[in-house]
Amino acid sequence: MEPQFLLAKAKDEELAKKGECGGAVSALFKYLLDQQLVDGVLTLTRGEDVYDGIPTLVENSEEIVETCGSLHCAPTMFGDLISKHLNDIRLAVSVKPCDAMAIKELEKRHQINPDAIYKIGLNCGGTVMPITARKMIEMFYDVDPAEVVAEEIDKGKFIIELADGTHKSVEIDELEEKGFGRRNNCQRCELKIPRNADLACGNWGAEPGWTFIEVVTEKGKTLVENARKNGYIDVKTPSEKAIAIREKIENVMIKLARKFQDKYLEEDYPAPENWDEYWNRCIKCYACRDVCPICFCKECDLEKDFYTDEDEIAPDPLTFQGVRLSHMCFSCVNCGQCEDVCPMEIPLARIFHRMQKKYRDDTGFIAGVSEELPPLYSPEKE
Amino acid sequence: MLKVAHTICPSCSVGCGVNLIIKDQKAVGTYPYKRHPINQGKNCKKGRDSYQILNENRLKDPLLRKGGLEQVNWEYALETAASQLKSYENREIGIIASGDCTNEEYETLKKFATTLGVENIGYNAKNIPTFNFKTAPLDDVENSDFILIIGDILKENPLLGRRVILAKEGGAEIIAADYPEKTLTGINSDEYIQIESTSSFLDNINRNVLENPQQLSTVIISGLSGEEFENSLKFFQDSHVKLLPVMEECNSRGAMNLLPALSEDELKDLLEKVKILYVVGDDPASYMEESLKNIEFLITQNFLVNETVLMSDVVLPGSCWAEKTGSFTNTAGETQNFEKIVEPPGNAIDDVTIIRELAEKMGLEL
Repeated sequence: MEPQFLLAKAKDEELAKKGECGGAVSALFKYLLDQQLVDGVLTLTRGEDVYDGIPTLVENSEEIVETCGSLHCAPTMFGDLISKHLNDIRLAVSVKPCDAMAIKELEKRHQINPDAIYKIGLNCGGTVMPITARKMIEMFYDVDPAEVVAEEIDKGKFIIELADGTHKSVEIDELEEKGFGRRNNCQRCELKIPRNADLACGNWGAEPGWTFIEVVTEKGKTLVENARKNGYIDVKTPSEKAIAIREKIENVMIKLARKFQDKYLEEDYPAPENWDEYWNRCIKCYACRDVCPICFCKECDLEKDFYTDEDEIAPDPLTFQGVRLSHMCFSCVNCGQCEDVCPMEIPLARIFHRMQKKYRDDTGFIAGVSEELPPLYSPEKE
Repeated sequence: MLKVAHTICPSCSVGCGVNLIIKDQKAVGTYPYKRHPINQGKNCKKGRDSYQILNENRLKDPLLRKGGLEQVNWEYALETAASQLKSYENREIGIIASGDCTNEEYETLKKFATTLGVENIGYNAKNIPTFNFKTAPLDDVENSDFILIIGDILKENPLLGRRVILAKEGGAEIIAADYPEKTLTGINSDEYIQIESTSSFLDNINRNVLENPQQLSTVIISGLSGEEFENSLKFFQDSHVKLLPVMEECNSRGAMNLLPALSEDELKDLLEKVKILYVVGDDPASYMEESLKNIEFLITQNFLVNETVLMSDVVLPGSCWAEKTGSFTNTAGETQNFEKIVEPPGNAIDDVTIIRELAEKMGLEL
């Protein structure tokens, strides 16, 4: 369908106040639960502090208010959480672009039922690792990280709010030059507005107190219309100027992402001898395989006898990462989870993202975005 | 129906954070806990598989030997254990714990023994003797300029190994020493020294390297026990280096703070002295079955079926770590609390409660 743009906000006063940008996303979730269109909503709730986002399944619409607020320091992944543990219910889920990409690949591979899921996309400029965030707040903001009550990313700045209501901000460029700021894979990510979800929601181009929504699918369109008819949200049309501002922000961010792709995947890409050093550290713990949202085979080739040599000190990179690369790199959505969980700090997402990019340049297939499966995909494992 | 909850990994003594995925009250997986300062969401295979501990081989009911082991109610099991304990002299009673109980359990067990006047008490220290000095925090490992490692840290305790890797990326010099010809830690160090004995290795160490006051030097000792461990500690203790001994179980350090550390020989000696034994968490039958044969009455408290349970006269089903609230102290001395996430299976209950109820049945006030 032709994309539609609108501005929305929650009619419920508490949701409007506590939610980001007028709480439209929370109101849509509340509507879906109240009308029993879904059995649960998967989203993040705040744990011990603003650096602790915990995936939470909300089944009672009164609890939606507890999921309000932004959490940029929670680099979570919902794709395999759904395909492995929530495939038996009708679900609504808030998705960052990488979540939406993983879900899309899993839908194509029949691991998630597209009819049983509402994907409410959230525009995303990137996430920050929690411990990195705490360190950088201490160093660049001269603030005890425990005193931060809220954070947001706006106009190229990472902004923190303290208990007394004061705000402090630092340019993200400055943080990233010094090795802090967003995760490296987020810096390289080109999908800032998740048009692979049913709706793409965010504050870019929105007036204060309103959420800018791009309606992407028929399912998303029906949801917004019915939520409005049933009194859950107020809706209005954004101005041409608002649409233009949003587009401009998106384009600037994509351009920046391409610059980072050049930096991380070409200019500063590790040399072969550096990769030798990285592979030497590998403890073959399978964390990268197990966390990959798109890798789902029940019988993994890597556990077959001819690939397992217990006495081997550091696995042969060809028969471990080589096999993983040959199976998964076409489908890599650059979510960065493999790199996040690697106990040995091997920059895995860089090699996978680089290969996907080359594959994309040659075949036009974009993992997580294209409607079809990768050209070399074998459906034998489903 | 689905819950993701924070906990501390019970698999080794590093003390990583891990999230458990609970579906319909059953642990079905783990999820990265990126906010955790020790491991930032990274876990080794053992850590990621830790949820399986909750589902395997569980004890669900109190058991009493009547020929074979039979299910009984709590009242009967505790009554029997209490009356047996009361029928022996204090010096005939032995209590042994393992290194993976909670600090709260050690405290309660210690109070139980003190109130009862039992001196034959300790935990299975896996041959690592008690030590008393300030150990290196994990952040110091990462910030070191020089690290000497005895043992294969990268393989055995990968999330401590990660700190070594980060130190190396920061420019630190890493020297590893161990018995095998090749180790994973060795191939990732600047120098690997294959040793024949720790004493000859220590004799040949150039102390000047370690004593350089300009730099932060850390020594990590793992995989050593008994005399070797003690000699290494003595050697480094009076130098300027920071020391980090790697203990075996998730709360060995906590146990050491509260109960006597017993080596295998000392455990055997203890068993020779006593006639009735109360085992909490440990599995002595797996390493000294012969010695257990002297015991007239055996009371075992555990969350799973093990060899000792099968030999016991009374079995008290306790809880797995994620089924109770408590704390573990990691090998670097940091105490971390964790919360109860799921209910224990069947009629199993919290371990502190079991010890308290046993004391109550004996007329003891803890």
